[in-house]
Amino acid sequence: MSNRMLALMMGVVAFLILAVGVVFVIALAGGGNDDTTPASPGGSDRPRSSAGGICAGKSLIVPGSQPNTVLDPIQVVDVSTSEYVVEIFGGLVTLDPDLKVVGDIAESWEVSNGGRTYTFRLRDNVVFHTGNQRRVTAEDVKYSIERAADPANASPTVVAYLGNIVGLKDRFQGRAPSVSGVKVIDERTLQIDLLEPSDYFIFELTYPVSFVVDRQQIEADPRNWTRNPNGTGPFRLAEFKPAERIRLVKNSRYHLGAPKVDEVIFQLGGGSLLTQYQNDEIHLTPVPASLLDSILDGSNPLSKEYRSYRGLATFYFTLNPNKPPFDDPKVRQAFAMSIDRETINTVLLFDYYEVAGGIVPGAMPGRSSSVKTYPYDPQRAKQLLSESKYAASMPRIILTYAGSGAAPGDLLVAIQENWQKVLGVTVELQAIDSAAFLREQRQANFQIQSDGWSADYPDPENFLGKLFASDSPLNYTKYKNPEVDALLKQARVETNRERRYQLYAQAEQKIIDDATVIPTFWSVEHMLVKPCVQGLPDAPMTIPRYRYVEIKEP
Amino acid sequence: MAPGLAGYIVRRLLWAIPVLFAISVIVFYMLRLAPGDPVDTLLGQRYQEEEAALIRKKYGYDRPIHVQYVKYMQNLLRGDLGISTRHQNFTVSEIILPKIWVSARLGFIALVISFFLGIAAGIYAALARGTFLDPLTISFWLAIDAVPIFVAIPFLQWLFAIKLDLVGLGWQGFTSANIILPILVLSLPGTAGIARFVRASVISVMKEDYVRTARAKGLPERIVVIRHIARNALLPLITIIGLSLPGVAGGSLIVEQLFGIPGIGAESFEAVLAPDFDVILALVLFGSVLFVLANILIDILYAVIDPRIRLGSQRG
Repeated sequence: MSNRMLALMMGVVAFLILAVGVVFVIALAGGGNDDTTPASPGGSDRPRSSAGGICAGKSLIVPGSQPNTVLDPIQVVDVSTSEYVVEIFGGLVTLDPDLKVVGDIAESWEVSNGGRTYTFRLRDNVVFHTGNQRRVTAEDVKYSIERAADPANASPTVVAYLGNIVGLKDRFQGRAPSVSGVKVIDERTLQIDLLEPSDYFIFELTYPVSFVVDRQQIEADPRNWTRNPNGTGPFRLAEFKPAERIRLVKNSRYHLGAPKVDEVIFQLGGGSLLTQYQNDEIHLTPVPASLLDSILDGSNPLSKEYRSYRGLATFYFTLNPNKPPFDDPKVRQAFAMSIDRETINTVLLFDYYEVAGGIVPGAMPGRSSSVKTYPYDPQRAKQLLSESKYAASMPRIILTYAGSGAAPGDLLVAIQENWQKVLGVTVELQAIDSAAFLREQRQANFQIQSDGWSADYPDPENFLGKLFASDSPLNYTKYKNPEVDALLKQARVETNRERRYQLYAQAEQKIIDDATVIPTFWSVEHMLVKPCVQGLPDAPMTIPRYRYVEIKEP
Repeated sequence: MAPGLAGYIVRRLLWAIPVLFAISVIVFYMLRLAPGDPVDTLLGQRYQEEEAALIRKKYGYDRPIHVQYVKYMQNLLRGDLGISTRHQNFTVSEIILPKIWVSARLGFIALVISFFLGIAAGIYAALARGTFLDPLTISFWLAIDAVPIFVAIPFLQWLFAIKLDLVGLGWQGFTSANIILPILVLSLPGTAGIARFVRASVISVMKEDYVRTARAKGLPERIVVIRHIARNALLPLITIIGLSLPGVAGGSLIVEQLFGIPGIGAESFEAVLAPDFDVILALVLFGSVLFVLANILIDILYAVIDPRIRLGSQRG
C-alpha cells in the first residue's frame, strides 16, 4: 500500500519534472529564431478559424511543390519549377487565362516571309525587378536566347522548343559562336528567322526557355544568381527555403498591371493539405480522388468552395510494337477495346477524370472533335484476340508504371480486371522507380507502360508533333509511321491555323488507330478555394496566374 | 578521470576511422553502381543523350568512380559536402544541416518525454506488482503503442485543430503551439517499450540481497526505492538511451510528411528516390559517425561505472 502511494507520488514528481523540462527545452530551442518562420505578415500568430485571419491580409498562401531544378528558365523541364518561373520571369509573349497568346515584353509582332520571319516590337516600359531596374531592350532578349543555346549551359529544352530558329542547333552543337537567326534591329525591335515556316512558333515562345534574364546579374555571379533571380515577371522571389517555403512578392512596376496581392507564399512542406485548408491555414488546395465523393456531398459545407476545370494532360498506355504480344496490331486493338473507361470513371472514380476522346486533351485549343478513340466493345475485342497470332498462347505480360512501390491505384487495378474479364489475359502490374521507368522507356525495353503527357504550350503540335514525329527529339515512345510523319511534316509548315488543325486531326486519328498508344483519360483539376480568393483563373496549364487574384470577402 | 580511461577512449576513436572509411567507400560505390541516375530523374521525359552527357559532365559523373571518390573525399576534408542535385545550386550542408537540426531537436524532446514517462510507468508497475494496476499501466502504454501513427495523426489533427481549434497544423517553428501534436506522436508510442524494460529490471533488482538488507536495516521505503532499487535498475538503460541517440537525428518520415515539418526524415526519403548522390552520402556518413560515437559513449559510461571492463580491455 505504502509502495503504491510512493509510486504514485514518484509519478507525479516525474510528470512535474518532465513538464518543466519540456518547457525549458522548447524555450531553449526557440532561443535561436533561425528556424521560426515569421508568422503571417502583420505579426499576428496563426490565422484564427474565423477565416478573418487568412482573408484579412494581402498574402495568398497556397500549397506548392519543390522545384526540380534551379529557377533558371533554360533549365526548366517540369511543371513544379515552371510554376515559379512563369511568375518571376517573362518572355516576348505570354498566355492569358483563356490560353490566348498575348504580348508580354513585346507589345506586337508581325509574321512575314511566308511564315519564316517574326518581327517583335518591344514595349518601352519593361524593367527588371532589382539591380538598377534597367529597361529591357532587344539586346536582352537576344542575350537570353543565345545563353539558352550555349552548350556550356546544357539546356535540356532549347533544341526541342527553339530548334526551328536559324543557327540555334549550330550554336548548341558548338559549330557556331552565336545564333544567327536572332537579330537586333534597334533597341525596341527584334527579328527572329526560322528554318521553316511555323505557325505555332509563337506558342513555343510562351515556354520558359526563351524568357528574358538579366545579363549583368548572371555575369556578376554565374554560379549563384538563381538563388535570387532577377526577372521581369509579375512577382519577385523574396525567400526560398528548400522543402519549406517559397515566397514571391509583387512587382508593383509590372508592365501588364501590378498584382493585387502583396505576396504569394508557397508551402513546400506538405502536411495534410485538406486539414490545413479546413483549419484556414491555406487559401486553396487540390482535392485528391479519394476525397472527391465526400466533398461533393451536398451536406458537406466544403462543397460550396469546390470548383473543377479541364486540364491539359492526357493519360495513356504505351504498347511496345516490338515486343510480343503487342507486335500484333490485333492484340493492341483488343486491349484498347476491352477497357470500360466510362464505368471506371463514373463508378470508381466519381468522375475524377474525363474519358479521353483522343491524344490531344479536350481543353486544347484546336483539338478536333472528329477524332475518336476505340470504344469499349468486349465482343469485338474477344474476336480480335481470337484472330491474333497469340490466340492460342499468350506470353507473360508485365505493365510497368512509375511508382515508389505502393499499391497500384484503383484505376490500374480496374483496368487490369477489365483485361482479365474480357480477354482472359492476366496482366501483371509492376511499380518501378521513375528513373528506371524512364530508362526502360528510352531503351524500348517494356511491353506496356502507363504514362502521360501534360501540355507545355497550348497547341496540338505539343502532343502530336513532339511525341510522334519520328525525327522529334521528344519522341520517347519511338513511334514511327511514315504516313503520320508526312502529315505532321505538312502540318508543321502550314501557316493557315485552321488547315493546320485539320492536318493534326488526321495524324492523330492514324496514331490512335495504330493502337501503340491507348489514351485513357484527360485530366480534370479539382480544387477547393476559399470564397475570399477572387479572380483566380481556371487556367488548364501553367500560366502566370497570381497577378489576377484579389483577397476580399465576397 | 578513472585510470586507464583516456587510453581506452583514444583507442576506440582511432578504431572508428577505418570503420568510417570502409563505410564511405562501400556506400559511394553502391550509389554509383546502382541503376538509379540523378540525370534520368532531372530530365524526365525530356531525356536526350546529348543534354544528359552535358549534365553528367557538369557534375563530374562521367569520370571513373575512383576518381570521383578521391575528389569527393578531398572536398569532404575541406568541409565541402558537395551539391544537391535535387535542390540544384544549394549545397548539401545548406540542405541537410537545418533539417537535421529541426529533426534532432524534435527527436530529443520526444526522447526525453519517452524516457521520463517510461521510467515512471515502469517503476510504478513494478511496485504495484500483484495488483491490477500493474497490467493496467503496461496495457495502457501498449495500447497507445499499438495505434499506427498514420491513423493517430489524422485523428489528432481533426480533434485538436479542427474540432477544438487549439493548435494549427502548419509548421511554425519550435515556439508555436503547433509543435505539441508532432511531439506527442513521436514520444508516446516509444514509452511502452521503456516501461516494460524498466519494470522487468526493477523486479529483478527487488529480489537482490542488498535490497533485503536495506529494508532489514529499517531504511525508509523512499530511500530503498530511490537509492537502492532505482539506481541499480536503471543502469541497463544506458545502452537503450545510447542506441536511440543516433535515431533521434534521423527524423520520422511519416510524422514529418503529415505535419509538413521540414525535417531530415522526409528529405532522406526524397533523396534516395531521386537519387541525390551527395545528400545520401552525407546522411549515411553522418549516421555512421553518430552510431560509432554513441557506441563509444555507452562503453565509456560502462567503463566509468565498472572498472573490470576497462582493465580487461587494457590487457586485451
